[in-house]
Amino acid sequence: MQFGILTVVEIAFPLYLAAFVIYALRAVRGPTVPDMILAVDCMSFDIAAFMAILALYFRSTYLIGGAVTLALWAYLLDLYVANHLARGEVGA
Amino acid sequence: MSVAFLLGAFLVVLGGICDLFGAIGLLKFPNFYVRLHAATVGTIGGAVVPLFGVSMLALGAGFPHRYAVAGASFITGVIVLLVAPAGATALAYAAHRSGVVEWKPKVDHLREARK
Repeated sequence: MQFGILTVVEIAFPLYLAAFVIYALRAVRGPTVPDMILAVDCMSFDIAAFMAILALYFRSTYLIGGAVTLALWAYLLDLYVANHLARGEVGA
Repeated sequence: MSVAFLLGAFLVVLGGICDLFGAIGLLKFPNFYVRLHAATVGTIGGAVVPLFGVSMLALGAGFPHRYAVAGASFITGVIVLLVAPAGATALAYAAHRSGVVEWKPKVDHLREARK
């Protein structure tokens, strides 16, 4: 098979890597705290997708469990920072 | 060259393009509330679409644990699809409530009505 999975993944690699660099730039430079958290949030979800693509590339299942955990962790980061900004505390 | 492979390859490459556009928008847009729009493109288009594409690609692949990869990436896609808008909404509510982000609206009908 000439045009296989590896070709698709190698086409997709530079797009994702460029996007990660730009997200990191916004996360470092963001003028306010919600900007930084938004950039880190986007980067976490996209790293979860990138880990799934890497699991295809390496033909292994170990990266997929990390992807599920990373997606949930980004949601937790959002909720904690939103609680902290809105109420001044991270309580229940 | 099956249908699942073609659909999965299309979704993965489309997700990469959406991810790059969302990142450029997140860098270039002027305001936090405008940047939320680019963040939606970056999460839904850049994470959910390639995760569904990876599950399609893994169904057509030949390595031994391909069904585990397909199912787990599909589950991750559904989780991100549910969770990313909720997190962005909570963050926008907190930013508006705490007044960290400055915004100068031309017309604020809510404030006028509350006077």
